[in-house]
Amino acid sequence: MSTKDDPGHAVSDDAADKKGGATILLFFILGVAASLVIGWGVFPRLLYSTKPQPFNFNHALHNEEVGDCESCHFFREDGTFSGVPTLAQCTDCHEDVMGESEDETIFVEQYVWKEREVPWHVYSRQPDCVFFSHAAHVIKAKMACETCHGDIGTSTRLKPYQENRITGYSRDIWGYSIAGFKTHTYDRMKMDDCAECHEQAVGSVDQAPLTGVVGRHFRQEVVPAIYPPDRQAAAGSSVQTQRDACFVCHK
Amino acid sequence: MKLDRRSFLSFVIGGAAGTAVTPLPWKLMDDVSIWSQMWPWTPVPPDGAYTYARSTCTLCPGGCGIAVRKVDQRVVKIEGLAGHPVNDGGICPLGLGGPQMLYSPTRVTGPLKRVGPRGEGKWAKISWNEALAEVADKLTQLRDDGHPEQLAIFSGAGQGTFSALLERFMTVYGSPNLVRPATFEDAYGMAVYRMHGQQAVVGFDLENANFVISFGSGVIEGWGSPVRMIRAKSLWKDRKVPLVQVEPRLSNTAAKADRWLPIRPGTEAALALGLAHVILAEGLYDRNFVEYYSNGFEAWRKMVLDGFAPDKVAEITGVSRDYIIVLARDFAKAGAGVAICGRGRGTTPGSLEEAMAVHALNALVGAINRKGGVWALPGNEGIRWPEVEIDETAANGLQRPRLDGAGSGDLVDAGSLPNRFFSAQAEGKADPVKALLVFEANPLFTQPGTETVKKALDRLDLLVSFSSLMDETAAYADLILPNHLYLERYDDVVAGTGLAAKVIGLTQPVVAPRCNTRHAGDVVLALAGAVGGPVADAFAWESFQACLEETLADDWDALSEAGYVVRKIQPAYWFEAFPTASGKFEFAGGYRPVPIEGDKGAFPLVLIPYDGMRIAAGPVANTPFMTKTVGDDVLKRQDVLVEVNPKTAGALGLGEGQAARLSTPRGQARVRIHLSEGIMPGLVAMPRGLGHTAYDDYLAGKGVNVNTLIGPVEDPASGLDAAWGIQAKLAKA
Amino acid sequence: MEMNAKQHKYGMVIDLDKCTGCGACMVACMSENNVPFKKDESNKRDSITWMRVYKISNGKPYPDADVCYLPRPCMHCEGHDGHSPCVSVCPATATDYSRETGVVSQIYTRCFGCRYCMAACPYHARYFNWWDPVWPDGMEKTLSPNVSPRMRGVVEKCSFCFHRYQLAREKAIYEGRDEVAEDEYQTACAQACPAGAIVFGDLNNPDHQVTRIVEPDPHHHFTGHSKKAFRLLEQLGTNPKVYYTTERQWVRKILGQYNFGSQAAAHGA
Repeated sequence: MSTKDDPGHAVSDDAADKKGGATILLFFILGVAASLVIGWGVFPRLLYSTKPQPFNFNHALHNEEVGDCESCHFFREDGTFSGVPTLAQCTDCHEDVMGESEDETIFVEQYVWKEREVPWHVYSRQPDCVFFSHAAHVIKAKMACETCHGDIGTSTRLKPYQENRITGYSRDIWGYSIAGFKTHTYDRMKMDDCAECHEQAVGSVDQAPLTGVVGRHFRQEVVPAIYPPDRQAAAGSSVQTQRDACFVCHK
Repeated sequence: MKLDRRSFLSFVIGGAAGTAVTPLPWKLMDDVSIWSQMWPWTPVPPDGAYTYARSTCTLCPGGCGIAVRKVDQRVVKIEGLAGHPVNDGGICPLGLGGPQMLYSPTRVTGPLKRVGPRGEGKWAKISWNEALAEVADKLTQLRDDGHPEQLAIFSGAGQGTFSALLERFMTVYGSPNLVRPATFEDAYGMAVYRMHGQQAVVGFDLENANFVISFGSGVIEGWGSPVRMIRAKSLWKDRKVPLVQVEPRLSNTAAKADRWLPIRPGTEAALALGLAHVILAEGLYDRNFVEYYSNGFEAWRKMVLDGFAPDKVAEITGVSRDYIIVLARDFAKAGAGVAICGRGRGTTPGSLEEAMAVHALNALVGAINRKGGVWALPGNEGIRWPEVEIDETAANGLQRPRLDGAGSGDLVDAGSLPNRFFSAQAEGKADPVKALLVFEANPLFTQPGTETVKKALDRLDLLVSFSSLMDETAAYADLILPNHLYLERYDDVVAGTGLAAKVIGLTQPVVAPRCNTRHAGDVVLALAGAVGGPVADAFAWESFQACLEETLADDWDALSEAGYVVRKIQPAYWFEAFPTASGKFEFAGGYRPVPIEGDKGAFPLVLIPYDGMRIAAGPVANTPFMTKTVGDDVLKRQDVLVEVNPKTAGALGLGEGQAARLSTPRGQARVRIHLSEGIMPGLVAMPRGLGHTAYDDYLAGKGVNVNTLIGPVEDPASGLDAAWGIQAKLAKA
Repeated sequence: MEMNAKQHKYGMVIDLDKCTGCGACMVACMSENNVPFKKDESNKRDSITWMRVYKISNGKPYPDADVCYLPRPCMHCEGHDGHSPCVSVCPATATDYSRETGVVSQIYTRCFGCRYCMAACPYHARYFNWWDPVWPDGMEKTLSPNVSPRMRGVVEKCSFCFHRYQLAREKAIYEGRDEVAEDEYQTACAQACPAGAIVFGDLNNPDHQVTRIVEPDPHHHFTGHSKKAFRLLEQLGTNPKVYYTTERQWVRKILGQYNFGSQAAAHGA
């Protein structure tokens, strides 16, 4: 094609380019904006579905009666943790309807009398690969329940159970913030959150603080006894990661 | 603004750039990776409270104590009960299999009635009332016709209260035909009866022996009480107690023994007498016992010295003459030597003469009722129930001879002769039995001569099985009234075949019954009630549990808590141990080897069965875990591999793993060859316990049931099955 | 916060003269650890048996033939400071060595099934799930919640019943003590063995029975001090924690050396 055929091109090209450039930029910005809205706003709403609990449980009311968490969430004699109470524990008191709430009526009529376990949705349910020892954290490390679970004991209503449609776990595991930001220790329960504490314990010999579980013992006693000086950099029980070994938290 | 290609692209790129700074892609990646780990078909076992419940295993006569681990109300594991006198924490592969039986898809989930011809496998579910009514009708009809003896019971239920209940039922009902499977204990018990003059339960104080000769007994392969025997073997190793294993095949016991003595099969009794010869000739016997407490010694001694010199015995048995002498000397000089017999697990009784030869050998070295020896223990004290009142119908019935001939004529000493029962029922002259109730047994699989057993069952009007799982006999039955599995019921177990102690174990329910089953004891009580009259009157208990509690009385609390009680027993001293005519031990017996079936010309090889711990051969069959442990030198896909010496196989042109046709006068089967230097040339060895046709694909169709190839051979002296093998031939498939 | 007073090194010694070849250890292990089972398990190349009992023979003709049974769990090789062959090659950090207990762990959720570890393990102790485990109707009730059931595509192996250690420590913590006693942590196979052939315990603890039998010598690569207890494939330097004892010389000879084309036959299970 010869330029002779299109004499007025040069002038209109500039304008068109300017206009095209603006359009492109506009669409770019639109794209960014749309994806930001979707990613931060729409996505979390779509990802989680709300599943109602079978009925409401008033922790505050029951705490008034018994005074502590351990009456219903207790350690068995073999050191295992009882977790969410079973029907047998509730029926000590609730053989029949005791109060006036509709929730209790549902409980007694649908579950106690029919001898059905209540199918609670458990906010802190972890995958099968996880081994968590309540004894090690509550008894030994003397951690408070609220550190990981939040202040459930004073609540009058069970918070809504939001389930991740893809994984089937509670929203409490990743945390309410879709970005995974947390402000309190009980905001999230992913492996990284456990590792935050477990990681503090170990590090290289000269760097990490000397407080903490595995680290202090290893660095002060075990490492000098078993390993020669040139190999004392490693401190954690795990050979692969130099932190806690896998079987500490997994099974 | 026009959306052209560039704009569209920039929109997409903007979207991508924006997306990257949102949590979306990172969260999605995390979520998808979790999702890919959580396929719905990968089970997540529910957690719960962990508890241990005690019970006693009933899967074999061993009587081990078990601790059953449960998660909430699910049974997840069975472990040996630490501290239990029989097993002290140890357990065998079969005992570990309880959970796989409890939750097996082959459970009979409720009463079933056959629809269509026997064995076709078509069932109609019926109610317990209907099932009980049908059986009661037949039972009543037989009595009304005046022939209560046409009811027979085949029971593998041991010596506890349930067995006593069955005996009581048959007595008041009027039938003598209560048949039990017979084992080496029957043959040895008969030998003891002949030589001691009393019925006794035989125990072996092996933990205190210091020299053991085993005539083919599967010491670590399930003889006696399996876990107890394996523990004893370890004890012998620690204490350096020699074990000499006499058998034609290198069994695990032979490999573990201090000396494996290969012997021509069927000649073990000759060896026992040969050892006796040396002990007699060299004067190494217990003089005190022989001189003051025995009778008939001179005649017996002459018989042995005349006929069983080491040279002669070496010729008969194939064992070296020199070793016979050495062994005899070592055995006699040990001071606490003992000999045991009963091939493999001892489920084939063996010949009476063989048992007598072994018992005489024990007597010679003073091992009767002595520490580390063989004990003749009084039978069960006899459960103290009120006397039964028998009516005329029953009295008449009881007077008629048993179908198996036991208890009368030549067979007056015999208690139960199952081989004769089935052959008489199949083709005997006497009137066949019309109704057969089968408890804790699977004769269509476990009895040698399967074809005869089948013919016997075919002549029944009514075959009822009480099995919890769909085994061969249940599959062939007209009615199945399923018992609770042992984990779901109460029972008492008089523990430990061959134990030199009396241990009573309590089987307790560790879970509620899973299916619509009923305790066979309760069913018997219900049937008695339905038959009515004096039969009903004899059973005052409202349930089997009530009966058991009453019977165990003072022991009930201890049993419920610990799971077992131990009754100390002291075997009788020699001056009072032998209520014979002479008041002394009677030396008796000779050597009349029982020939095996088959013409040597047409069938030049000999097929012998063998037992092991990984294949259960009794009424309880392999669990999937057990079958998994079976080596690929025994089971390859669906084929069983028979052991053959390379010389024998080579002569036939058969190589390792090659398919072959194994034939005996009783039948033939496809097998594969496994070359083994651990077996005498000329022999073919096949494991017991394979060849199931019932149960499910985890077991059925694998291998061959050796009982279809070998039949019983009656010992004329006792009526018991003394077949140790059968003539056979192998050819390329 | 305090720690265990000691670093442990859990190991085992197996008396080959007591082992009867009964297979109870195999069944106990499978029952304890949710090991799957198929209808046909006769192909031992894909039959998953964390504990496997091998049968070896002396290769002599009748009547001098003899056999010996060899139970083989995972050896939990320490290598050199925790560098087991399998741990060294895993690209997914699915397997790890713990200096605190000496146990080589296998985390199924990290494993993506490359089977490099299976190639690296000289003891054939690792098994691959070629298929999804199938539990016949009802049998999934026998599954223990203390061990994760696997899906297809992951490698599994003996864990020295580590879940029992986890539970034993929980009990110890509940009772206010740190140490797990010798009889509180025993593997399923050691517990079940009717012959008492398998002895399990802490090789760093001189009071444990296993240490008394083996007497591991830290100055000689932890070989048995008295030379009574030996390990398989010692020359590979895997530093395994399963020792064997036997008084039979032919067995020691076969197991103490790595013989290509040796006369003695070795059968799987």
